[in-house]
Amino acid sequence: MILKPALRKELVKWGFLLPCLVFMMLMAVFPLGWSLSLSFTKWLGTIMAKPQWHGLNNFRDIIFSDPRFWADLGFTMRFVAMAVTLELGIGLGLAHLLHEPFRGYRFFRVLFLIPMACPPIAVAFIWKMMVHPDVGIINSMISAVGLAKVKWTTSTIVAPFTIVMVDVWEWTPFMFLALLAAYQALPEEVYQAAAIDGASKGQMFRRITLPLISPLILTIVLIRTIDAFKLFELVFGITSAGPANSTEALSYYIYLTGIKWFNLGKGAAMSWVFLIILLSISMFLLSRFRKRD
Amino acid sequence: MYKKVTLISVLLLLPLLLFVGCKEEEAAEVETVSMEKPDFSGRTLSILVNDTHVQVVDAWKPLWERETGGKINVILVPYAGISDKLWIDFRTQTGAIDCAAIPSSWLGDMAGGGHVVEVDPLIEKWGYPDWDDALPAVKVITGWAGKTMAFPYDGDNHMTYYRKDALEVPEYQAKFKAKYGYDYHMPPKDWDEVRDIAEFFNGWDWDGDGEIEYGVSFIAQQKTQAMWEVLNLVAQYATIAGEPSNTTSNIFFNSDTMEPLVNTPGWIEAFRRIGELTQWAPPGLLGYGYSEFRYAYVSGNACLGFDWGDVGIMEQYPDEYGSEVKGLLGYGPLPGAKKYWDHVNNKWVEKEHQVNFLNFGGWVWIISKYSKNVDMSYHWITYITNPERSLLDACGIHGYTGVNPWRKSHFDPAVLGLWKRGGWDEGAAKGYAKGILDILTDPYAVTDLRIPGGERYYDALDMRLAEVLAGKSTAEKACQSLYDDWVKITDEYGKEDQKRYYLESLGL
Repeated sequence: MILKPALRKELVKWGFLLPCLVFMMLMAVFPLGWSLSLSFTKWLGTIMAKPQWHGLNNFRDIIFSDPRFWADLGFTMRFVAMAVTLELGIGLGLAHLLHEPFRGYRFFRVLFLIPMACPPIAVAFIWKMMVHPDVGIINSMISAVGLAKVKWTTSTIVAPFTIVMVDVWEWTPFMFLALLAAYQALPEEVYQAAAIDGASKGQMFRRITLPLISPLILTIVLIRTIDAFKLFELVFGITSAGPANSTEALSYYIYLTGIKWFNLGKGAAMSWVFLIILLSISMFLLSRFRKRD
Repeated sequence: MYKKVTLISVLLLLPLLLFVGCKEEEAAEVETVSMEKPDFSGRTLSILVNDTHVQVVDAWKPLWERETGGKINVILVPYAGISDKLWIDFRTQTGAIDCAAIPSSWLGDMAGGGHVVEVDPLIEKWGYPDWDDALPAVKVITGWAGKTMAFPYDGDNHMTYYRKDALEVPEYQAKFKAKYGYDYHMPPKDWDEVRDIAEFFNGWDWDGDGEIEYGVSFIAQQKTQAMWEVLNLVAQYATIAGEPSNTTSNIFFNSDTMEPLVNTPGWIEAFRRIGELTQWAPPGLLGYGYSEFRYAYVSGNACLGFDWGDVGIMEQYPDEYGSEVKGLLGYGPLPGAKKYWDHVNNKWVEKEHQVNFLNFGGWVWIISKYSKNVDMSYHWITYITNPERSLLDACGIHGYTGVNPWRKSHFDPAVLGLWKRGGWDEGAAKGYAKGILDILTDPYAVTDLRIPGGERYYDALDMRLAEVLAGKSTAEKACQSLYDDWVKITDEYGKEDQKRYYLESLGL
């Protein structure tokens, strides 16, 4: 059978596209669609074999009568703001210090990358032991110099900062690495011209360096913000959301609802509300950065 | 255009079509295999256990594999991971897990949801190694809706631990009497005495080891097992021992109305008292999960402790668990109270009394309904839980296994020699065994919450308790919030269904 050229072209096109489309359907679109449809159902997986239509009740419940959801969102947002700001600040400082070769700079570059290379759950359990209020090495060192032990994980005030501290330890290298690459790509001539014009180091940093690397800053801040919102392992491993839920991240609550209690309908709805909030924040950040540009 | 739309529609529907025709896998048929000398060659049994029970598995796995020819695939998870793994397997019906050791309080969801194999027909078919040897309280926790749905494996209940080298010192007794105006009991008779002893023995080196000791210690970390600590007090202040009814040996719900009792003065009193105790506890108390507490307590850092029988086992092992208190611990039942709240007549009743509580209920083994190795599972479970082998797991010979004595034969004076081999001296073994036996043979012991959604009720309890322990909330506020949480959960699961399950769990 001889096919018409146009039909043949169509078939070839779809032949190449089909595997990708099927893969996309299975891996991305189907789960998203499935979870969205699930969010309109009541499905207590432990006792109900099948989901029941529940309309908007899950969303109503989350928005109007679940203070824990909002408290956890509040903690997550405070965590993201603190952690990302500190990571950016420290990462920028380190990149600024280490972008020019000095004795042993290669060693430091490798050293700073180690935390990022560790699996997050391993980081969590290592830090859990290090910050243990009674037997942790950090408190042992603190008490060895005559200071009072810190309630790293047992105070509702200190524990959230402990989570931030560990996240900063783990993810500052990411900021550092990205900014270091940006620093090394900066054109030398611009600085030479500025130096001839009598610009100080501070002026060069504010007027040249920052504007040139700001597109990259925008990108890495966005990546880290989205990633930090998914905070889970550190909470799971270090504090188990305690004490008194003071470190319960929203993703942890979603895990409890959907996986631990098998309240699948509400878990899916919470995920969608979280996704919408996260997208809104990302869009807001993007628009702010664009305006500034 | 039309063709494109059709093609895209087909592509969009393709993933859905893949699911059409998928049928729920039928539960595996029970095979007819001889249990006398079975041959499981070429087959693998997948079992799910947590970090403590893996000691039991490690002890018996090589022998079992040699005797049966089968292989065991151990899926080892921390406590927090057991339910996740199981539920995913139940919901996907893959049968990747054949059998598992779980808390008996989960049977409400797991047996109620129809995910575990009923045990009675299996016992009828293959027999069971001395069913009558299991203590009645332990048999109760294997049941659900009138059927046996799990295998007994562990006798779990909280007991009081106290330091004899503190409470038995005449000088300290005299000083205590001078300060509080009465002689304390050993173990403390009620929570008033616990309060005073904790205060008295807090913050000074009463055992002369050069370190400061604290008054009291218990599991207090959120998302571990802290809720069972407050239930020790709730059992005393919210009910009185008796044939289970709405007013006796009942602490969770009004069994007539299914209204939670958690905001009644009995519960508030329990929350207030446990919050008060934190001021006489080690500084890291809120970071004490069950392991942290046990290691810290046997290191000798506190006078009083409340826990399952595991502390007694760890006490015997200075090398393995760093015990500094071998031979120094006393054991007893939970402290009682001088009053309890009568929730029907809404009044405090002044009466000295004590209520035993089957915290956690005990670990049990279940066989997954989706298992294709029911016969292997049955053989494995009955192999490790027969009277002789289970004794070795419970008496300390296999170390800290998480298994506490649960068969009558475990308490038989004739097996005292094995307890001694487990590291105990005779007096300690007798005291420990008596402490547990008194509770497990109490027909009026309050049973744990065993209804669907149990984990959610307890998560809410855990969260509200954590607020009180951390000083973030008052007992009154926390209990009111807990009431709201429990009402919401009950409504979600259906009030009438929950009431029916609750009455069943009380045996009414």
